[in-house]
Amino acid sequence: MPSKGIDFANLSLMDALDLAILVEDEALVRYEDFAAQMDQHRTPDAAKFFRYMAENEAKHGEQLAVRRAELFGSAPPTVSRALIFDIEAPDFDAARAFMSPRQAMQAALASEVKAHAFFVAALPVLKNAEVKALFEELRDEEILHQDLVKVELAKLPPDSGLSDDDFVDEPAAQ
Amino acid sequence: MSATCEFQAKDYKSDLKPIWCPGCGDFSVVQGIYRALAAIGRPPHEIAFVSGIGCSSRIPGYTTAYGFNTIHGRALPIAQGIKLANPDLLVLAAGGDGDGFSIGGGHIAHLVRRNIDITYIVMDNQIYGLTKGQLSPTSQKGRVTCTSRFGSLEQPVNPLLYMLAYGAGFVAQASPTDLVGMAAIIEEAIRFPGFSFVNIQSPCVTYGEEAQQIKGLKAISESLVALGHNPADRLAAMDLAQHYGEKMHLGVFYRNPEPAPTYDGLVRERQALLSKDALPKERILDLFIKK
Repeated sequence: MPSKGIDFANLSLMDALDLAILVEDEALVRYEDFAAQMDQHRTPDAAKFFRYMAENEAKHGEQLAVRRAELFGSAPPTVSRALIFDIEAPDFDAARAFMSPRQAMQAALASEVKAHAFFVAALPVLKNAEVKALFEELRDEEILHQDLVKVELAKLPPDSGLSDDDFVDEPAAQ
Repeated sequence: MSATCEFQAKDYKSDLKPIWCPGCGDFSVVQGIYRALAAIGRPPHEIAFVSGIGCSSRIPGYTTAYGFNTIHGRALPIAQGIKLANPDLLVLAAGGDGDGFSIGGGHIAHLVRRNIDITYIVMDNQIYGLTKGQLSPTSQKGRVTCTSRFGSLEQPVNPLLYMLAYGAGFVAQASPTDLVGMAAIIEEAIRFPGFSFVNIQSPCVTYGEEAQQIKGLKAISESLVALGHNPADRLAAMDLAQHYGEKMHLGVFYRNPEPAPTYDGLVRERQALLSKDALPKERILDLFIKK
């Protein structure tokens, strides 16, 4: 499980909400980074899709933050980003130069699958009923997010079947 | 130290956008450095970040610390000069394996023996990436590149053994496959009182071999903590370090339990001692003027 020292058995609802917000925020930052990388490498279509994903993550994070504020006000969080790594954020090496929109969407889909697996793996360990309900909700949302990406994938024209390597020269001898 | 307020990782991120290849391991490394610096809590203006030349040597520009992208292989001498001129600065040096262990390799022994309080982070990708894929000092034997068309005949340098053999007080290895662990190791290295070295196996997505990409590295990684390694045991560290290139041990290989005095600290002490009998500044010029 891509987490460091989360005590799932004793997780409180506030901590669980804070962790969920951090998960969304980590994904948001990663998608923004990926969008910037695609801009730098003149791949605007992939950049546009990563920005769309970043907006979605921001929206989910805000929704969770509202819930957290309603339930716990401004109580200081007791969990930190050091507890999580790459839960919903795509892997660092998922980005590639000259990514097609299809490849960008596949990277996002893989990260939604990964996030779903995280919540599924955590559920049996949870003891707090409210936390369990929240994780079940988040698990189900990941399915919805996967469907969202699949809808975008379906809009794409058929894959050309060509690989990036077909367009890239081998390094020249020095 | 003037750190009275809390800093977040984003406070160390500059507005400059990295131009590394998408998927490069260095994206993860810079995030790890942001996190480590936030945990340390020193304000950016109290940090000097020095690098050599290469893809990874662009890293100071992506932070809000004072940055100095110097010349090839010369990050360490310049970092030493900065630390001695202003010992209050937190000084980081960074670069790649080519910069650090080839053209800059001769500087390591002298920095280690002086034990100047600098943290040196090497992003080791076993290739010269910026110049399009030539053999580097850490490239594996047999590696085919544009400068070794029939496979390298050379044994690679072992950066971990290098540092341990020279007597470095802190030697660790990290990986972008574990950002949280990497940030913690960098933080620990910075906090170590004396020279500290962190080798980060950071894959080159463009010219790196398949086995050295994130998935390949994950497959050969082993946590030193999980192995029960005692980081105070230098000989055990050297034994484990011999597996560089075959296994990727992550964590602290060696942390000197009794850190030696730092050169910068000794210089300060001597300055304080000698300053008692020193001439006032305004009279020093008189020494050079013939009466």
